[in-house]
Amino acid sequence: MAIFNAKERIIECKLVYYGPGRCGKTTNLEYIFKAFRKQTNSEMVSINTMGDRTLFFDFLPMGLGKIRGCDVKVQLYTVPGQSRYRSTRKMVLKGVDGVVFVADSLDVRRKANLLSLKDLAENLKEEGKSIFNIPLVMQYNKRDLERQGIPVLPLETLEQDLNSKLKVPYHPASALKGEGVGSTLKEALLITLRHLQKELHWTK
Amino acid sequence: MSEKDLIRRLLKEADLYRTQGLLSDAKTKYVQILNVIGKSETLAKNKQLIAGVRSKIRAVDKSLNELRDTPEKPELSEDLQDLIKKLFSFSQTKEAAAIEGAVALAKFGQYEQALKEFHRLLEQGILPVVTAKNMIKCYAALKTPEAAVAQFAKWTTRDFFSTEDLKYIRTFLKTSLEKEGFKPDIPEVETKPSLPSRAKKKKEEVFLEISAISIHLQGGPMAGQTMDFDVHFQSANTVTILIPSVQKNVADTLVPGTRLQDIQCYSPITVFRSTGTVSGTAKIKQGPRQGDYTLDITIDAD
Repeated sequence: MAIFNAKERIIECKLVYYGPGRCGKTTNLEYIFKAFRKQTNSEMVSINTMGDRTLFFDFLPMGLGKIRGCDVKVQLYTVPGQSRYRSTRKMVLKGVDGVVFVADSLDVRRKANLLSLKDLAENLKEEGKSIFNIPLVMQYNKRDLERQGIPVLPLETLEQDLNSKLKVPYHPASALKGEGVGSTLKEALLITLRHLQKELHWTK
Repeated sequence: MSEKDLIRRLLKEADLYRTQGLLSDAKTKYVQILNVIGKSETLAKNKQLIAGVRSKIRAVDKSLNELRDTPEKPELSEDLQDLIKKLFSFSQTKEAAAIEGAVALAKFGQYEQALKEFHRLLEQGILPVVTAKNMIKCYAALKTPEAAVAQFAKWTTRDFFSTEDLKYIRTFLKTSLEKEGFKPDIPEVETKPSLPSRAKKKKEEVFLEISAISIHLQGGPMAGQTMDFDVHFQSANTVTILIPSVQKNVADTLVPGTRLQDIQCYSPITVFRSTGTVSGTAKIKQGPRQGDYTLDITIDAD
């Protein structure tokens, strides 16, 4: 849950990168950490296991500076994608304000995307939130692999599979190359802060 | 596409999945390659190709096994444990935040450290029943039923808990250990004269922070419906919720003195059911929520 200190004019919110295992959530944060050095005021924390898989979470705090007279801070998290870490994902989702769902564009990961989105909806529900109401942005990652001749799902298929009911903004991306990472983050922050404005009136 | 080109394409795919850590997908693709080779008269004779693909499958299998053998929740460094405590405690009251930090450690599998924290909190008399239950969960996760029973025996000899609390904790301990396949021999709780125990006193002072509630309405035009509200303010066991002006009928139903027989309380630590009484209402006269209603609900402490 966002913390708004009206006296000090500071708002702090939490954005979680969700998605199936190996879809590129950590790669998103790594790119953000490198590309937005000015806004990242401390080291990125990653707790990995063998094969660079996220074990618990990645954590990257950012300071966005003053927006409408308010100091805006954001905490970026990733969840572990592997199915066996459900309880950890639930824990990381606690107090979430906005979500970036990173879908894997690879043809072979179609089912994994669907299962992960379902898992997100269920875990949000247990948090007392609805996937239809929470600020959410879709990112269709690994688009660059199409150029290498690897079977990749068309954007229309991904939209049909994952976003036909949610109808949230989406961004094609290649996190490894940094393409679409910044635009995804910016849109996620924008809709999250707008949502929080309705709840907390932090810009007044 | 020629057979050779097909194999080349499939190998490229499989190798990419492997480098991306998509090991099961890589294996499936390598097996598919072997099947294609097996069906081809010319390729089936290429022993070098077959051996190469098999070797890749063995390497993928090895990685999959190593992954499976990796402990799910290994012990972390003290720095990371401290970070977890800090990041996953949301309550504004010091006591509830301390409990949340310790619960987070347990949820992330840091059971030994979580136990140390819970011991410390219990000594301070902070939310003793919640703390005790979490300690039992840690012992159960660590598969140390003897330690759990020994701890419970100690609790029975001290004035931390009332007889009712001890009976409740005993049931919880029994269920938790049985769920893990243990058949514990737990000391019975003797009824003792009720003393104003240290823990009980603290319990009155500290009430779990509640972030949201669901109320099952029993009267008025919306009887039978369950409504969710965020908690905007809390003082001990009294929470304040906001009801938008468009839900005036709900505010009109919940007049002071109304008993609420079914309240679901959501705290960052747990979800629990309780009962309560509407202890105050007011219409907001100014500011952005002008026209909305504030409602105070006093949750029953036990």
